[in-house]
Amino acid sequence: MQAHAETRTVAFEARNVSKSYPGVQALDDVSLTGYAGEVLAICGANGAGKSTLARMLAGQELPSGGSIAISGYDGSIDGPADADEAGILLMHQEPVIIDSFTVTENVWLKNLSSADKVRPWGIISRKKADATRAALHAVGLDNVSLGRLGSDLGPGLRQMLALSRTQVNPHRVLLLDETTASTTEEHFKDVLALVDRERAEGVSVVFVSHRMPEVFAMADRIAVLRNGKLVDVVRTSETTPAEVMTLMIGEAVSALESPAPLVSTAAPVLEVEGLSSGSADNVSFSVRPGEVVGIYGLVGSGRSSIARSISGNQRRDSGTVRLHGRPVSPKSPRDALRLGIAYLTEDRRREGFVKDFTNGENLTLATPHLFSRFGVINRRRESRRVGEMIREYQVKGGPSTFTRTLSGGNQQKVIIAKWLEARPDLVLLDEPTKGIDVGARLNIYQIIRALADDRKGVVVITSEAEEALMLCNRILVLRDGRFVGEHHPADSTTDDLIRASLGGDIA
Amino acid sequence: MTQTKQTSVALDAPGTKRGIDRGALVAWAKEQYPLYILIVLLVIAGFATDAFFTQRNLTNLILQASVIGIVTLAQFIVVLTGGIDISVGSVVGLAGVMSAGLFSGASVPTAILVSLVVGALIGSINGYLVAFRGLEAFIVTLGMLAFARGLVYAFTEGIPVTPAADNFRGIATATVAGFPVIGLLWLGIAVGLAFVVRRTVFGRRIYAVGSNKEAARASGVPVKSTLLGVYILAGAMVGFAGFLLASRVGVGTPTAGSLYELDAIAAVVIGGASLVGGKGRVFGAVVGTLIFAVISNLLVLLNVSTYLQDAFRGALILVAVFLTTVQFAKRRKVTKLV
Repeated sequence: MQAHAETRTVAFEARNVSKSYPGVQALDDVSLTGYAGEVLAICGANGAGKSTLARMLAGQELPSGGSIAISGYDGSIDGPADADEAGILLMHQEPVIIDSFTVTENVWLKNLSSADKVRPWGIISRKKADATRAALHAVGLDNVSLGRLGSDLGPGLRQMLALSRTQVNPHRVLLLDETTASTTEEHFKDVLALVDRERAEGVSVVFVSHRMPEVFAMADRIAVLRNGKLVDVVRTSETTPAEVMTLMIGEAVSALESPAPLVSTAAPVLEVEGLSSGSADNVSFSVRPGEVVGIYGLVGSGRSSIARSISGNQRRDSGTVRLHGRPVSPKSPRDALRLGIAYLTEDRRREGFVKDFTNGENLTLATPHLFSRFGVINRRRESRRVGEMIREYQVKGGPSTFTRTLSGGNQQKVIIAKWLEARPDLVLLDEPTKGIDVGARLNIYQIIRALADDRKGVVVITSEAEEALMLCNRILVLRDGRFVGEHHPADSTTDDLIRASLGGDIA
Repeated sequence: MTQTKQTSVALDAPGTKRGIDRGALVAWAKEQYPLYILIVLLVIAGFATDAFFTQRNLTNLILQASVIGIVTLAQFIVVLTGGIDISVGSVVGLAGVMSAGLFSGASVPTAILVSLVVGALIGSINGYLVAFRGLEAFIVTLGMLAFARGLVYAFTEGIPVTPAADNFRGIATATVAGFPVIGLLWLGIAVGLAFVVRRTVFGRRIYAVGSNKEAARASGVPVKSTLLGVYILAGAMVGFAGFLLASRVGVGTPTAGSLYELDAIAAVVIGGASLVGGKGRVFGAVVGTLIFAVISNLLVLLNVSTYLQDAFRGALILVAVFLTTVQFAKRRKVTKLV
């Protein structure tokens, strides 16, 4: 063991790297070394700083403190161009595929900027066709024709297409940032084979993920981040998923006890029957007042479609939705709000708040009628209530601070407060803690539980099993648009949920 | 790098009511670039020619600025939603000839009503196509620009329309204590519009739609009807400006209002509004108009050739657009920190 360790060559070294954003210390004094011919997994809960670390290695963000050194590259990494030069290849969680480009052009995308390698804008010489096919073959895309457009490919294929660039772009370090989040089991095997080949060729592979089965299938070593700090680096052969999970989550989990199943005979707030919309396929469920129902599933399983179609954000193909026993079909979020349905979006930046609005303006956006008469805003009443809301939800920053300058957690508090001001009976929360640091997370969990205590019906959509178990009375697991099981926190583990959502064994 | 300077005077924390809040005043003063440009221009004008600061010239300046000033205000609310209206010049022309010619221009109140209805009608067509059919405001109003101007020529056959009413020029020539009424109308509309955009739910919605349409919709803002309302309101204002122009000239001229869209858009942008939407103040649009008017006036006083005057105004637009890119760079730095 010792002898083996000494023969390893260092591929990259992060020394005392820190990164801070306003209100959030994303990374705190992290030192980490990657070796050639080794797969290093970086694990952590959402908001632990793992993607920040990956983006910094790839030169997409610059550290606030510390430095990153790449073996065989003398300069410092000051931008993506330097990272390219140093031989670092980053695969994003959302694959970078240009919809209007053909498969070939997408394979060679990174080379299109330099005309001497490939002639720009689609005039890729025919000699390259063989190389393109070989690259596609390496990632299991033998059946994809070279002339198809990026827009024709599904999410799984897009990811594999992006991965094919590993074959045409020479690199020393390969960063996979949650790259397997939307791959199917079949493609996952291709990814695995690809990673094995990379390792054999002496590439240093960094795999960023919080999915234990995939991490244990791939990695030689596992670095665990929590709350921006490097907690530990362990060898995969000497640990277990449970151990890593504990390192990832730490003490934060025990702060909230898992709720018991709700014993209630009250009439349901929400009854959904045979709902089909987007990728959701004929789903039925109900929510009683005071109950938090979790919908757990992978990206693309149709989770958001369910909530969006109930709340008038998306068209419903079929099925009935009853609110307090009365069939409803809101055509817009405005309709839904009038009926007492609030939907907290997954996409905070796009749909959550207005970017040029202050906290005060965002907080009252959904409920102007409470602060106005004949369409004229009563500013005194508005600012008094805004002040109360900011204190009540512990939002950092004052009424005239722009919401966009806040941290994710505080933005989320503003958005939640905005919705709750409308006193909805049913609250649908789509990934309420996505990209939010641990401290603010607990705060948001408490707000959600308080909603249930207030006899509202609550639906929480999440892709984090721990979160579902911590927060919900009942968890419905969604796979490929259908519910495949109902779990209770008392007698289920994260493993049960993950297994159910993946549809059997992986790893 | 501090983030705290990002304050707005829109919503003060309770407890800061007494006296003038110095912090808010400083924050306000920091954003008044257009006002400083105007002041510098006025100083230059005063030194350049003695003819500038005379009652006659200033009255003339207000008369010229008022009509385009009202058109600029209309342009301003459209720009606030992230749209643009390049049909304003043609609508000024159409409303002008219709108010002078329809019902033979026999009564001033009727003429005003005609101009408002014509403007609002065209605004509602623009608004319907932009809001409910999701078309680009630029293309829609480009079509309207040609359509409305075509109607003007069809209606007048190229000949100016003389209204029957004797007092048709009354409004445009009247003064109150030496100040032209037409200028007061401009001021009144500006104050009214400022109230609408800053103090009403409708105004709040305009800013929300312009800044972030998806977020506005998701928060229960009726995006489409807000947009439609804005285009109708803007149309009515442009129509009224068309009447005022006809009233000032005394006849409905077929070419009236040509190229007003350029001046109006430029004045809005110089006044600090963002063409992307969601940002800008009525006060800025008024100052922007004045900047334009002072420069035009000065060029005339200094006997600059008419051809060169056009070049000057064009250059001013380019400078204004350039200035928006400078503001953009600043904003990008801020968002990057988040």
